[in-house]
Amino acid sequence: MQFAPTVLTPAEEALRAEVREFLAAELPAGHRPALGFAGRHDPEFSRTLAERGWVGMAIPPRYGGHGRSAVDRFLVAEELLAAGAPIGAHFVADRQTAPALLHFGTEEQRQRFLPGIAAGEVYFSLGMSEPDSGSDLASVRTRATRVEGGWTVTGTKVWTSEAHRNHFFAVLCRTSPVEEGRKHAGLSQLIVDLSAPGVRISPIPYLDGSHHFNEVALEDVFVPDDMVLGELGSGWQQVTSELAYERSGPDRWLSTFPVLREWLRERGAAVSGEEAVVLGRLAARFRAIRQLSLSVARALDGGSAPVVEAALVKDVGTRFEQDLVEALREAAETELDQGSRSLFPSLLAEAVLTSPSYTLRGGTTEILRSVAAKGLAA
Amino acid sequence: MSDDRTVLTEVATGLFRDLCTPGDVVAAEATGWSERLWSALTESGFPLVSVPEEAGGSGGDVADACALLTVAGRFAAPAPLAETGLLGGWALAAAGLELPEGPLSVAVGAPGDAVELAGRRFSARLSRVPWGGRSDRVVALAGSGGQRFVVSAPTAAATVTNGRNLAAEPRDTLVWDDVGLPDDAFAPAPPGVDGAALRLRGALARAALIAGALARVAELTVRYTGERQQFGRPVARFQAVQAHLVTIAEEAELAGLAVSVAALNARPDPSFLDVAAAKAAAGEAATIAARASHQAHGAIGMTKEYELGQLSRRLWSWRDEFGSERYWSRELGHRLAAAGADALWPSISTGLVSEPASSPEGSFA
Repeated sequence: MQFAPTVLTPAEEALRAEVREFLAAELPAGHRPALGFAGRHDPEFSRTLAERGWVGMAIPPRYGGHGRSAVDRFLVAEELLAAGAPIGAHFVADRQTAPALLHFGTEEQRQRFLPGIAAGEVYFSLGMSEPDSGSDLASVRTRATRVEGGWTVTGTKVWTSEAHRNHFFAVLCRTSPVEEGRKHAGLSQLIVDLSAPGVRISPIPYLDGSHHFNEVALEDVFVPDDMVLGELGSGWQQVTSELAYERSGPDRWLSTFPVLREWLRERGAAVSGEEAVVLGRLAARFRAIRQLSLSVARALDGGSAPVVEAALVKDVGTRFEQDLVEALREAAETELDQGSRSLFPSLLAEAVLTSPSYTLRGGTTEILRSVAAKGLAA
Repeated sequence: MSDDRTVLTEVATGLFRDLCTPGDVVAAEATGWSERLWSALTESGFPLVSVPEEAGGSGGDVADACALLTVAGRFAAPAPLAETGLLGGWALAAAGLELPEGPLSVAVGAPGDAVELAGRRFSARLSRVPWGGRSDRVVALAGSGGQRFVVSAPTAAATVTNGRNLAAEPRDTLVWDDVGLPDDAFAPAPPGVDGAALRLRGALARAALIAGALARVAELTVRYTGERQQFGRPVARFQAVQAHLVTIAEEAELAGLAVSVAALNARPDPSFLDVAAAKAAAGEAATIAARASHQAHGAIGMTKEYELGQLSRRLWSWRDEFGSERYWSRELGHRLAAAGADALWPSISTGLVSEPASSPEGSFA
């Protein structure tokens, strides 16, 4: 294990102070915080952040980014998430697509997409899940057929968050038929323009009635050769490493923090002994999980690949996000109503309704634990 | 980890590996004591790590002492390591009192305890004193004439009633009934040496022991489930068992890092926020990991010979000593509530604090 205590440098402390000051002005007290990275899609906020240099931080300057460290990104992300900032528009492109482009993309693809991502203007969705393909991604059926100058893609992707607002998605599909005993071979990632002819996006209403998920049906969608991401046939390896990028950041343990803060604001200083226990317990665990997550960011900057550590942080962090909701529900002793006029109870209602997704998105708890357990035994 | 601390950890690990085997730990349960282990620890100066050399200690800082305790926890060491140095030794040294030759213990005020100092007459009833009957002296705080005193109460003058924690470690009740103290047995307590500070040190020490024990529990469980075959394959290959392994690893790492940060931030003294959070997190981790490791082990874990039980029984004891997770959560919660909603995130996101410019690098032995 590589979880080492890590101290922030004066420059990192200064960055954090700057973000805090910005957020205090931008999101005044009383604003309704978003819960987690997918909480609210707000292109204007994304652009404002980008102007500050807080989008595309890991992207090198030659592609319009800022070449910052994983720890710098961590610090900005945790401030945004703790404040409940609406970062849903750019977050996935920033966290996941940009590193994939940097690792696997062509020079042309990098130049085409990265500056827009860093500007907070180009948004990506993920194109992995299908009706019959969830954790077992190797079973995807969407297929691409070779045509003059590129591919035509046909198939259906589901649970595609924000496809109706985003610009592109990286589609995992089969570019050659299944070979006996090599089910991971023959898969590739293609970057598909969500506004291309043949792309049909229809909402899959979220359990709280909101529009977040989509079904994206692809019918003979033409994808030019230059939109193949990485090597043909390496889609599986790329996607699994892509999952690793997104594992252990603050977005995996801070989604419900604003609910706790607003509960405390409502309760005030005179909490009961029982309430103090709830608050202290959650705060203690928050601190501990944060330190684990920060140490993974530091290890990444040091050039290591803490895959098992990242899986552990995501597992413990996402389950904690859910535990927090239940602890506050028990403490609050109230009937929940999303339409409540008071901030805390309506946030808690939102959290109860959305928190089951935390241990599903980006790799279910069960899959993560298998990954981590194999690493522990090694 | 500093180079000094790495060496300290390595040397201590070697010592415990030789003198504190699972067999030694079982053997020590009858009396709660291993003279062989304690002599070796004393010879190496380990019990007095973090007590200044000029006061007769071994030097080093709180983080060094916690690194040692983490090793001790890993080996389920039956020895009052924390009580002698980090707690009792610290208080005596701060008050300018002499350190005794043998083990020290400490009382931070269990419910029902009473301490009375009138002139040099000392009466006290102290319960759940770790290795109380084995110690040369017990350090307690007493108010007298509007002043607070550090008392180094001679165990020989007390009536001892033996008690045990769940791991059969001595937790004794000592009674002094109007005993005359010698001059060198009490002194005014300097600022900062009070019940709250002792309790913080005790909680940090127990959290460090828990972190060490959890690391070993994690190793044992990975090893056992990798070897144990059922249905024709190692049980670690079953997803349900893997979930236990992952849970244990998470809790062990979470507690370990919380303790490291609290210990490293103690320059020179541990802070309330760090320790309250670390002890609360470690106590919760102890509960979760002990349960998961026993489940993953099956019946072998329920036997006295197998190492797991030595660790889990300590986890179940240490989580309650010097304040349970509920106690520290409540204290922490009240503090955080008083600071207000907008101060909550800054408190949570305070981790390891940078080294002050003038930090003295002490040696440890």
